[in-house]
Amino acid sequence: MADLEQVKRLIAEALPGSEVEVVDEGGGDHLRAIVAAPQFEGLSRIDQHRLVKAPVQHLMDDGTIHALSVTARPAGA
Amino acid sequence: MSDPELKAKVEEIIRDNEVLLFMKGVPEGPRCGFSMRVVGMLEQLGAEYGAVDVLPALEPLREATGEISDWRTFPQLYVKGELVGGCDIVEEMFASGELAALLGLEQPEGAEAPEPERLVPGGSQQSPPMQLG
Repeated sequence: MADLEQVKRLIAEALPGSEVEVVDEGGGDHLRAIVAAPQFEGLSRIDQHRLVKAPVQHLMDDGTIHALSVTARPAGA
Repeated sequence: MSDPELKAKVEEIIRDNEVLLFMKGVPEGPRCGFSMRVVGMLEQLGAEYGAVDVLPALEPLREATGEISDWRTFPQLYVKGELVGGCDIVEEMFASGELAALLGLEQPEGAEAPEPERLVPGGSQQSPPMQLG
């Protein structure tokens, strides 16, 4: 079972200046991260998503998070 | 380290298919909600695509795509050799019309990213689902 606060904190720490929300989309292990970050500027969607997933990849690898969907917005959007 | 033979097969399949979906299950019977939704969107666009069922070799395929595309979750949609993304990206691009544009297809009127229950059966894919490993 994933700790939403932990996931939010890991992403926020990896992306200084970002706004992060993490919600449970079902069962405690299907999560969605909604992130607005200055680091997304100029990046393709897939690269924005890579930035979000990287700090929590270990939680996906060990099965704590079964699925992480991402909504990525440029900072301030 | 991924199996070199499997990795080579994956690279070849990505190269050989203009649109390629790595999914859980097959288009006529997806085995996960995200895969089902991507299939639904491709079907709404009338896209031709190749499909690979990753379930028979899930961990080896995660390793292979992890090395090739730095991406380990499925479904994965490739267009013209490039990873477009998973279900979340495909849904955003479908809703905005970008996916249709990328595939050179018409955006259907009133197109909506499908709910899992509204999967359109059958397929417009160009080849039978492929299995690797």
